[in-house]
Amino acid sequence: MATQVYTQQTIQLKDETSGPKVWLPMQIALLTWRNLVTIFRKPEALLPPVAISVFFLIIYRSTLGRAAGYIPDIGGSYLGFILPLSIVSSSLSGAGVAAQNLVRDIEKGYFDKLLLTPVSRSALLLGPILAGAVILGLQASIVTGVGLAMGLQPATGLPGLLAVIGLAVLLGTGFAGFTVSAALGSGNAAATQGASFIFFPLTFLAPTFVPLNLLDGWLRTAATVNPITYVIEAMRALINTGWDGAALGKGVLACLILATAMYVLAFYALRVRTRRT
Amino acid sequence: MSTREIVVENLTKYYPGDVRAVDGVNFTVKAGSIFGFLGPNGAGKSTTIKILTTLALPTSGSARVGGFDVVSQAREVRRIAGVALQDIGLDPLMKSVELLALQGQLFGMSRKAAVKRAHELLELVRLTDAVGRRVGTYSGGMRRRLDLALSLVHQPEILFLDEPTTGLDPASRRDVWEEVRRLNRELGMTIFLTTQYLEEADRLADVVAIINKGVIVAEGSPARLKAAVGTESINVAFDSHETAGRAGAVLADMAQRIQTDRDTLRLYMSQAAQAIPAVVSRLQQADLSPISLTLTQPTLDDVFLQVTGQRLQAQDAAQAA
Repeated sequence: MATQVYTQQTIQLKDETSGPKVWLPMQIALLTWRNLVTIFRKPEALLPPVAISVFFLIIYRSTLGRAAGYIPDIGGSYLGFILPLSIVSSSLSGAGVAAQNLVRDIEKGYFDKLLLTPVSRSALLLGPILAGAVILGLQASIVTGVGLAMGLQPATGLPGLLAVIGLAVLLGTGFAGFTVSAALGSGNAAATQGASFIFFPLTFLAPTFVPLNLLDGWLRTAATVNPITYVIEAMRALINTGWDGAALGKGVLACLILATAMYVLAFYALRVRTRRT
Repeated sequence: MSTREIVVENLTKYYPGDVRAVDGVNFTVKAGSIFGFLGPNGAGKSTTIKILTTLALPTSGSARVGGFDVVSQAREVRRIAGVALQDIGLDPLMKSVELLALQGQLFGMSRKAAVKRAHELLELVRLTDAVGRRVGTYSGGMRRRLDLALSLVHQPEILFLDEPTTGLDPASRRDVWEEVRRLNRELGMTIFLTTQYLEEADRLADVVAIINKGVIVAEGSPARLKAAVGTESINVAFDSHETAGRAGAVLADMAQRIQTDRDTLRLYMSQAAQAIPAVVSRLQQADLSPISLTLTQPTLDDVFLQVTGQRLQAQDAAQAA
């Protein structure tokens, strides 16, 4: 008897509480917010990328700053020439944050819990990536701020610096597609961390310390196909020489190509992980 | 509204290398009942629950949860089913209310309704004291209860619990049992639970199915299963295993079956109570003095022993230690 009564009550409650399928942008917003909250609860993962980038910025400037007078085609100050490298490396290592959050969910079993809700698969992927984008935007801003404090005088002013940070976010978010693929593929934090470090050699297969036309042989070939090259060149133009539509266009295009390839990979990795077997 | 029933027909799950995790299982769980799936580690319990909750696909056969097919109507099944897996899935960096409210919102509740529901559930599983703390600081029992609460957010009609008390201390275990009974009694929820604890199946389930090596070897209400084994036993404890062994030799012809478990001798026979005087006098004649003598009714352990030829109890004791 009692069972009957309560059952009816349950059904009533159900109608009131569990409504229609949640709008996709809302799902993404919910999961992004949740990822951001937890990222800030583990701040020890946030500072190292910024600290290392700032450290190298100071080191490069101190060791190479004087020699820079002998390098042609720098365009402006050596600080302005080397700053993009620091921004790019902070945004690439910051891209690891998205993957770290995702892999923690997989390891703790919370990812399975989310799979049992009617949440869309793309929201599961975009939540951590967008949260990562916010974080690496902040990191790129801090590194840029340090550059300003060191006496940087950007040729394009504040709008140019915002464009630089925008490029950093675009590049880092594309690269996050790769780190997230590693997280989904391995389900293992150490492997994910290891995969993320591929950014490190990539930043040196580029016109890192001298302009592209001074690179030689295989390194020049490698730099020519490395999307990071075009992002760094676009940033250098913005900081040292002024608005350059062609350089900026190539930088954005390089980011978009990288992002497209990496997101195809990420969605494939998601499909494999969530495939019922 | 679903049928709140679970109907499983010829369900199999094979893994590469001819591993038959589930090998042709049939059962029906009636609406509003508690069904206990009892078996040792690796018997196929978790695989079955993963198939029923849409996390895994069967190799063949069919399963309908609340009238929905687990393969072709996975989304509907997820809406009406609540699942607490054996491995607790919680984010240690989040707080209990945040976890519950997010889950509610993903199921389509408004922020306000989800937060309200979160507080209701925290009250239900008695975690209101720990609201402001991160889940990472919770004890095992608290995590288990929060995980249970998480599976209830969307008011499921059918609840799946995979070994809900494994790794819990006896007090937390009793808390979970009470919770499960309450959900079943007060909300009319159909509950499918797997366990390797006989006591748990005996206390909670209306119907128990015993699974071993992917096959259901016995099914029925605990009382009926025990009655089917039918044999009561006289348990006589001695001062040593060796004495128990000698007593066994003396009493061999009296029982249908004799078993020595450390220093205790178990004599399985029908109408054991009437046989007690004869047992005592035989022992006196042989100059063997027992320390204690008790009479036991058959248990699910006996059922398990009879149908599988092995004991589950030893594992039970090892786990509790």
